[in-house]
Amino acid sequence: MFAIDKSPAGSIVISGRLDAAQAPVAQAFLDTVDGVVTLDCRGLEYISSAGLGVLLKTQKRLLAAGGKLRLTGVSRHLQDIFGYSGFDQLFEIEPAR
Amino acid sequence: MSARTRPRRLSSRDLRTILGVTSALAAPFDLMTMLGEVVAAAKQVLAAERGSVWLHDAATGELVLEVATGLKPVRVPFGVGLVGACARDRQTINVPDCYADPRFDQGVDRASGYRTRCMLTLPLIDHKGVLVGVMQVLNKKDGVFDADDEALATALAAQCAVALQRVRMTEAVIEGERMRQALEMARDVQLSTLPATMPALAGYDVCGTSRPAELTGGDTFDLAMVERGLLVVLGDATGHGIAPALTVTQMHAMLRVAFGLGVDLDAAYVQVNNRLAETLPPDRFITAFIGLLDPATHRLRFQSGGQGPILQFRAATRDWATFMPTSFPLGALPLQRVRPAVTLTLDPGDILVLLSDGFYEYENANGEAFGEARAREVVFAHRDAPAREVVAVLERAVDTFAADAPQRDDMTAVLVKRDRSAAESIRFFARTFEALPAIFEFTSGEFARQGIDARLLATVDLAVEELFTNMVKYSTGTDARVRIGVTGIAAGVEVTLTDYDVDPFDVTKAPDVDVTLPIEQRRPGGLGLHLIRRLMDSVDYEYSEASRESRITLRKTFAGA
Repeated sequence: MFAIDKSPAGSIVISGRLDAAQAPVAQAFLDTVDGVVTLDCRGLEYISSAGLGVLLKTQKRLLAAGGKLRLTGVSRHLQDIFGYSGFDQLFEIEPAR
Repeated sequence: MSARTRPRRLSSRDLRTILGVTSALAAPFDLMTMLGEVVAAAKQVLAAERGSVWLHDAATGELVLEVATGLKPVRVPFGVGLVGACARDRQTINVPDCYADPRFDQGVDRASGYRTRCMLTLPLIDHKGVLVGVMQVLNKKDGVFDADDEALATALAAQCAVALQRVRMTEAVIEGERMRQALEMARDVQLSTLPATMPALAGYDVCGTSRPAELTGGDTFDLAMVERGLLVVLGDATGHGIAPALTVTQMHAMLRVAFGLGVDLDAAYVQVNNRLAETLPPDRFITAFIGLLDPATHRLRFQSGGQGPILQFRAATRDWATFMPTSFPLGALPLQRVRPAVTLTLDPGDILVLLSDGFYEYENANGEAFGEARAREVVFAHRDAPAREVVAVLERAVDTFAADAPQRDDMTAVLVKRDRSAAESIRFFARTFEALPAIFEFTSGEFARQGIDARLLATVDLAVEELFTNMVKYSTGTDARVRIGVTGIAAGVEVTLTDYDVDPFDVTKAPDVDVTLPIEQRRPGGLGLHLIRRLMDSVDYEYSEASRESRITLRKTFAGA
């Protein structure tokens, strides 16, 4: 199961599993955001390359316009994935506390 | 001893003779040779026609004369005749005219045809005052034995006593050495019958060991593939030493012969029991577990003559089943027939634990025994370890429990463990991303069912998704469903993805992604395979031209994590 929503505080909350089937849903949502966007990943259990592709595409677009994605609450497992993919060099990442 | 008016000094010639004899006495070390030397020395020094040496048998109190090899020795009790009187009183007896002395037994002369005129009988006493025997010399040439002869004989007797005692002690040591060598041989024979390597049996992990308390043990075990399956034996003969060691070796051999010939379990049990009952002494028997495991049905039938407890750990319920012996110990009484063998079934993860008394009854300094409860605890704590390791841990646990208390009994262990993992679980999925939720439900379900460590699930799911989505995206010429299989392995999992009616595409050969490129140059593609390579222990690709099937095998274990 997967969910992506704007929180009252203005961040984007992403939770559940972001797999190849859900990637289009995530992409459609993130296409609507601008500027410096905080992505609250505390509830995100799983991400595959399809999900990584969504994040990459979004980051490129935001950077070009002077903004960026901040990923917060990133779990140990996801940190490993981002590390292997070199995404820790492309994104501001805040580990989960 | 007769009175003397003037002490006679030993002439230098006499002294030389005695010393010469003494050094000769120092040389030989077997008893018969020594006795011959003693008699020869006495005859020479005392100028006697004949001589003999009687040895004191401390056990019976008799004086024993070895007449010749093959003939029974002559035995005379303490106090009887001249010899017995001399031994009893520890006094030299000098008889100048034997036929005038009532103590002299004329019957010997009559039998041999020899005429004994005079006789000197003296005790052989060593430095410690031990009566070693009695020496007799007969018929002094040119006369009778006088006081000088008594003095000479006494000096010689002391040397002879010491020499004889030394020889007897040496023979005892040699006998002890022979005994030790016999024990070594028995041990070698016994150890050579124990299986050197454990049989390899698909779906099973088996191990047996035996640690004797002394040089040889009364325990045996066997694990061997025979016609009817895996033979499992644990045997324990009463006592230690050569006899029990050879007894269990005999039983081991008989069982191998019987099962090697394909004899039925119950019939073999009766035959071996009866053979042992014929040959074993009344106070000896063997407690033995004798079982046959059919690896196809996973059923183990057994007879146990007094060997127990028989423990089965059941993985599904995490509890223990206990079985009692089916009959009395082997070799005690002959049997006409035996109650049918008991059957137990080994499910995946189950462990049959057979331990001899040496484990259960090993006592520590407080007299407390190791016991069944501790044995179960140890096996339970290591239930996922290889059988060899469980056996080693059990031995260590007993040693730790016992601390300095010595091992009094042989410790023998036999473990038969059925592998945990069930056969591969398989399911087919339609070639669409929409199958992903069902795939993840399958993997998580299998992890739970097969007891695979859940911490591996996220990375395994990632690998499965990447490969599945690749198949969906790139092998579009087919609409066959993709086959996914999940199998628990030691410390992890093996997953296979099989695709049908496709062209070969070796994923393992796809180029790596450069993850250090700046963002403008990064592309979304290829990351899937890149991640799989880093997250999995191994990825293997096979393609069959004939069936146009491709199969990818992934392995992920905790060691590699």
